[in-house]
Amino acid sequence: METLRFSSWDGTIVDHRQAASPAAAALPALPQVPEGAPVHALMGFNGLVVTDPAADIPALTRRYLTEARKLSCGECAVCMIGIDQLIERLAPEASPLGARGLSELKTLIDQVAVTSKCGYGQSVLFPVRDALSYFTDEFLHPAARPAHSYLSEVTAPCTAACPAHLDIPGYIELIRNDKCPASLELIRERCILPGVIGRACTAPCEAACVRNAFDEPLAIRLLKRAAADYELGHGTALSVPAPERREKVAIIGAGPAGLSAAARLRARGYRVTLFEAMACPGGMAVAGIPPYRLPRDILTHEIDLIRRMGVELIVNAPVETLSMKELASQGFQALFIAVGAHQGIRIGMEGEDTGAAGYLDGVALLRELHLGTPPPPSRKALIVGGGNVAMDCARSCVRRGVKEVEIIYRRSRAEMPARDEELREAQEEGVTIRFLTAPVKLLTADGRVTGVECRAMKLGAPDESGRRRPVPVTGSEFTLATDTLIAAIGQRPLLPRLLDEGLSLTASGTVAVDPVTLMTGVPGVFAGGDCVSGPAILIEAMAMGDRAAESIDCYLRGARPGMPVSFAPVTLAASRGRAFVAPEPAARVPLLDAGRRKASFSEVEGGYSAPEAMKEARRCLRCYRLYVWQTP
Amino acid sequence: MATIVIDGHTDELPEGTTVLEAARRHHIAIPTLCHHPDLTPFGACRLCMVEVKTDGRWQLAASCTTPVTDGMKIRTDSAAVKKSRQYAARLLLSRYPTTEAVRAAARTVGVAPPPRETEGHDCILCGLCVRTCREIVGVNALTFQDRGPGRALDEPVIEFRPTSCIGCGSCAYVCPTGYIRMEEGGDKRLIWDKVFTMVPCTVCGRYFAPADQLRYISRITGVPFSELTTCTSCR
Repeated sequence: METLRFSSWDGTIVDHRQAASPAAAALPALPQVPEGAPVHALMGFNGLVVTDPAADIPALTRRYLTEARKLSCGECAVCMIGIDQLIERLAPEASPLGARGLSELKTLIDQVAVTSKCGYGQSVLFPVRDALSYFTDEFLHPAARPAHSYLSEVTAPCTAACPAHLDIPGYIELIRNDKCPASLELIRERCILPGVIGRACTAPCEAACVRNAFDEPLAIRLLKRAAADYELGHGTALSVPAPERREKVAIIGAGPAGLSAAARLRARGYRVTLFEAMACPGGMAVAGIPPYRLPRDILTHEIDLIRRMGVELIVNAPVETLSMKELASQGFQALFIAVGAHQGIRIGMEGEDTGAAGYLDGVALLRELHLGTPPPPSRKALIVGGGNVAMDCARSCVRRGVKEVEIIYRRSRAEMPARDEELREAQEEGVTIRFLTAPVKLLTADGRVTGVECRAMKLGAPDESGRRRPVPVTGSEFTLATDTLIAAIGQRPLLPRLLDEGLSLTASGTVAVDPVTLMTGVPGVFAGGDCVSGPAILIEAMAMGDRAAESIDCYLRGARPGMPVSFAPVTLAASRGRAFVAPEPAARVPLLDAGRRKASFSEVEGGYSAPEAMKEARRCLRCYRLYVWQTP
Repeated sequence: MATIVIDGHTDELPEGTTVLEAARRHHIAIPTLCHHPDLTPFGACRLCMVEVKTDGRWQLAASCTTPVTDGMKIRTDSAAVKKSRQYAARLLLSRYPTTEAVRAAARTVGVAPPPRETEGHDCILCGLCVRTCREIVGVNALTFQDRGPGRALDEPVIEFRPTSCIGCGSCAYVCPTGYIRMEEGGDKRLIWDKVFTMVPCTVCGRYFAPADQLRYISRITGVPFSELTTCTSCR
């Protein structure tokens, strides 16, 4: 799509059809289709875009309507019947429309938009209206044209915001219709740890939910959890893997990325061995996320299901000494490195490297707390950082009996990555927060931490992350006494030795891979998860594991991996025909009382019962967005 | 409490009252096909459209699923309201031209149904049976089908789960079109496509309820089955 002939994208009309030579006008923000697919025209949620005189707009409209019909649920009287009427009236064999017929169809479209029950019916027909309005002659005087090919894709604001692109409106609808097992099956197609993600995800989908404009987003994460919890009470029907294939794949690291890749490859029939350095699988989900957010029996259950698929798991594996040659000699034809990012980043303050007792790395502390020998509780703990690891450390310290727990963060609340509810729950548990404060010097006596010298900060211009950069306030130094200082400002990968064998690293110390295939510079060796992306959320690692599995499958079969359509540039939330939405806040779940939380690592958040989940699911506006491309 | 103005009448109503309930308090007629006062509103038929103003502009909304909010203004007889109801009725008529409930509803909004030879009994997907089974009976034997990417359904129909159904017949009772047929003969009752064995009344001998239904009642109430085998007339 290079020269723009016509566009109604996002409501802006650009019409170059009469120009002698169509201007090479900048194309609007369109979904990105894989390279090599020439496109004549695109009809989608945002409008109609035509780039080739050979485009057949009536034919594109008919195909769009056929695809649109497949998503119309029939639960209200107007959307599906309206689409059917349009299909019937625009069929090539239908009687000529005439100007009056065309105008009637536009009125029909407007009426379907204002009376439809859900967001889909309210918006799906607008591009058809654009076609009828701006390509009138082509509809009134249809000419025989050669047949075209079509590509169609469906997304939603929530789906596009999810790193794993779950069909969120789909699984919510299944819950609403009392079909938790089918909902879970749909969730598992793109998220193999639904109970884990239903508890520990930061839910970027909820930030993208269209309901944010009306009241509050759907409780998408809790709905996923409800589907997973239903299975715990009713038994599983996890699909049986395909017949065995000869090829063996080794995966290093049984975290979210490794587990996800293992399940996908196993489902495709490969023989998979997971090598895990720690004593139990789960990666950051087990070594980082505290049990009060993610009870271990949930994680264990979901990992057990993956093992039941026939994935071999070796814990306490000598990952440090594994070599590619050795793996090849054991018959492994592909390798996926997913070792995570388990090494805390140093703060870079004076006195940090003296090895003083009481100075800890946040992820190391969490790992020791959950899997090893926790250090004896101190009187006071200061945690440096503003992300979820800092929150996890602070709240874990409270539960370990530390009397005074304070977080120091060098920017303000607005720049702090921790989620609102995480921060609120930490404060309920007695954690205090000191914003705009940075540590500059660790104070020690007799090899023990005694305090930290800090400096006040103010906010300057935004940095490359878009957040305002903290700037030191001169002469503002002050001292905080403490016997424990925990650095939780970020993690980087701790890479095993086999990475010396020809793999290259990026400037930030992560493994360099092809961004599409996730293959490293060494053929057959792939990498993904935090060791490639840097510290990210669980679902992001799982999505990379899924992509790696797809790539490995293609590599072993000698095929080229298919590139998905990217909706990243597209505005999916806007709606021309947004109708009235009755306000209805999300259904609440009970939280464990703050006093009781402090005494144990019991799960803080409750879940929805099946009826509560069905009620919450009814709030979904069903914002499916359809896009249909016409190609030669 | 929410203070509203509906067609010029000011009223104060508890939060959670729907616009449809508010209208009926003032004897304002609003057509409905999928509404039942004892069931959760579903918003399927789109015949109950009204206009509401909450943030400075009038917007169409289904009155059955819209709760009143403080300061809300409502009008039920504007040109936009009439047009939207008529369009919903026309679309329903185009799909179910011979079904009497649809024809009657169309007449109430001023749309004349086409001539017909025989009466039809189409399922219009109003969801009354699904909601009755779920909310009143409590057995969830009926549900809607789901659509979404990759789920290539042609025509949506109500799904019947024979293993859950107790044969009570509530769905047939509430169905506004006669689509759900219930047939009885001797000790058998046929509903959807499942045959139930009926229990005779211990007093009058009349077959009055399916055994599955009595077993279900016994299970949820704790009353022994043997105490449930007398029909309501003889009790």
